[in-house]
Amino acid sequence: MEQSQIDQYIPVALLGLVAVLFAGGVLAASVIFGKLGKRGGIKETAYECGMLPIGEGNTRMSVKFYLVAMLFILFDIEVVFLYPWAVIYKDMLKHDANLIFGSMLSFLGILFVGYIYALKKDAFNWKQ
Amino acid sequence: MNPLNLMRLVAPECILVIFALTALFMDVATLREQSAKVRQWVVGSLSGVACLTVMIWIACIRPEGSYSMVELPAVSFLLKEVLLGLTLVTALISFDAKFTRHIGEYYALLLLAAVGLMLLISSNNLLMIFVAVELVSLSLYAMTALDKTSPASAEAALKYFLFGSVAAAFMLFGISLLYGVTGQLQLDAIAGKLQTQHLEPIHYVALVMTLTGFAFKIAAAPFHLWAPDVYQAAPTPIASFIASASKVGSFFVLARIVLAGFGSARGGAGWGHLAAGWVPVLAILATVSMVIGNLVAIVQTRVKRLLAYSAIAHGGYALMALLADEQRAVSSLLFYVITYAITVLGAFGVVAMVEHSGGRDRFSDFAGLSRRAPLLSFCMLVFLLSLAGIPPLSGFFGKFYVFTAAISGPDHLQAFWLLIVGGATSVVSIYYYLQVLKQIYVAPAPANVGSLNISMPAQIGIVALAIAVIVLGFAPGLLLGRLNDGLTLVASNL
Repeated sequence: MEQSQIDQYIPVALLGLVAVLFAGGVLAASVIFGKLGKRGGIKETAYECGMLPIGEGNTRMSVKFYLVAMLFILFDIEVVFLYPWAVIYKDMLKHDANLIFGSMLSFLGILFVGYIYALKKDAFNWKQ
Repeated sequence: MNPLNLMRLVAPECILVIFALTALFMDVATLREQSAKVRQWVVGSLSGVACLTVMIWIACIRPEGSYSMVELPAVSFLLKEVLLGLTLVTALISFDAKFTRHIGEYYALLLLAAVGLMLLISSNNLLMIFVAVELVSLSLYAMTALDKTSPASAEAALKYFLFGSVAAAFMLFGISLLYGVTGQLQLDAIAGKLQTQHLEPIHYVALVMTLTGFAFKIAAAPFHLWAPDVYQAAPTPIASFIASASKVGSFFVLARIVLAGFGSARGGAGWGHLAAGWVPVLAILATVSMVIGNLVAIVQTRVKRLLAYSAIAHGGYALMALLADEQRAVSSLLFYVITYAITVLGAFGVVAMVEHSGGRDRFSDFAGLSRRAPLLSFCMLVFLLSLAGIPPLSGFFGKFYVFTAAISGPDHLQAFWLLIVGGATSVVSIYYYLQVLKQIYVAPAPANVGSLNISMPAQIGIVALAIAVIVLGFAPGLLLGRLNDGLTLVASNL
């Protein structure tokens, strides 16, 4: 058992080795060939699909984007949980109707509280 | 399979969640126009009432038994009462704190962290334990960052979050490997499977990874790097909660996992008789924590940072208890951790009061504190001497039980080397605790400061904790007896 367990990991180890060699090789190659080539002026600028780069590389984003992203994930996950629940709903109804209904009801209840909270905190108000 | 049975078992947690959401909503919906002080008092009192209600509920109903993923050993009443008590005092300390405008959120997160800790104690299923750990951790990360005006607070929270998520990944990976080799998530079922299996490298990988996750939670060296920054930069009431209540929960669940789940993969930590298993891992973590924690604490000049390193060292002492056999390990560990939590919460409370009066946590801010606040200074004296392990305070008995437990286990006197490390480092620790006391009692107060501006609820809480430390020192049987009673009922399935 022990031998076979370790055998299974040989492809993983090989893949790891190839990954390290490839990453290291490319980095080393870029250093070596970069030193050989000519540099300066237009070659040093960032390549943006042929456009001339304008402004800073890292622009500041409004924090509201993150807020929307978080709220989206929250309610997206809610739907993700609803699917498997809906699939087994009919089967479970025969065994334990209270459990299947009550658990989803309490889950939605807690998320609803979160929704009201976000609403009250003006999280959905873009202009504020 | 009656869901009402489940409701009966988790009713305390449900009540606390409802209170937490009420606190959140009260602040957002009705108290918006009020001054910060009014909001603080209303929402703070609500949280206090929440803790008291649930404490009374647990004392009266005494839920016990198991249902699916929830299993309440008899000792869990006592632990939940202790956790709620610690949460209550944390709420009292933060009554007049000014670190945040988000008062509803603060108390809601505090109560939710308490719910997470209670669930942590209630479960014997690794998945449920993981979810509970995450509930606690996420609440704590957010609370650490609550002081929006302090960049250090944000930095500490980010550090805590990054370290914490890596540790959670380790824990989850360990759990998945355990599930892979045993096909079980219930601790007793895992224990049964492990007993029949020949232990292979993969078992040890699983075990070490799971332990790594918990070692992070209890801030055992070398997984302690987050602790000093978080304790230092988080608002003091929150640091006190992280140091006290979250430690009690994490230690209990660690003990439950290693004793109830990994019982057969114990190994040995005797000098010259090391054998693979979780005991040598914990013994080494304990040694490193005791040495690093105590030695690094010597050079600290900030009280909160000093308490953080002392927390690392105390984590090491507590781990020693797990070398004993099951029942003795749990009772001495819990006694140690509970008395430690009470003591450290009080010490942080005094720091919070000094900060409340415009000071910070440098040694110089404590100079001459005995003239500015005699009662609080005496409480601090009690707390620090108890942390140093001076009899007859409770810290001494905690250390005593842990030390005797460590050599009572299957390793017998071969584990004596741990005691030597523990004894030597606790002598070292007296030095830095006395450094703080020297500032309080010997150093003259700066000329331009008056008496301390003390918040009344906090003072009540701190004095109550100091009394508890003294009483448990004179009569450790009060707690130890109840711990043992609780354990005898469940020794088979804890």
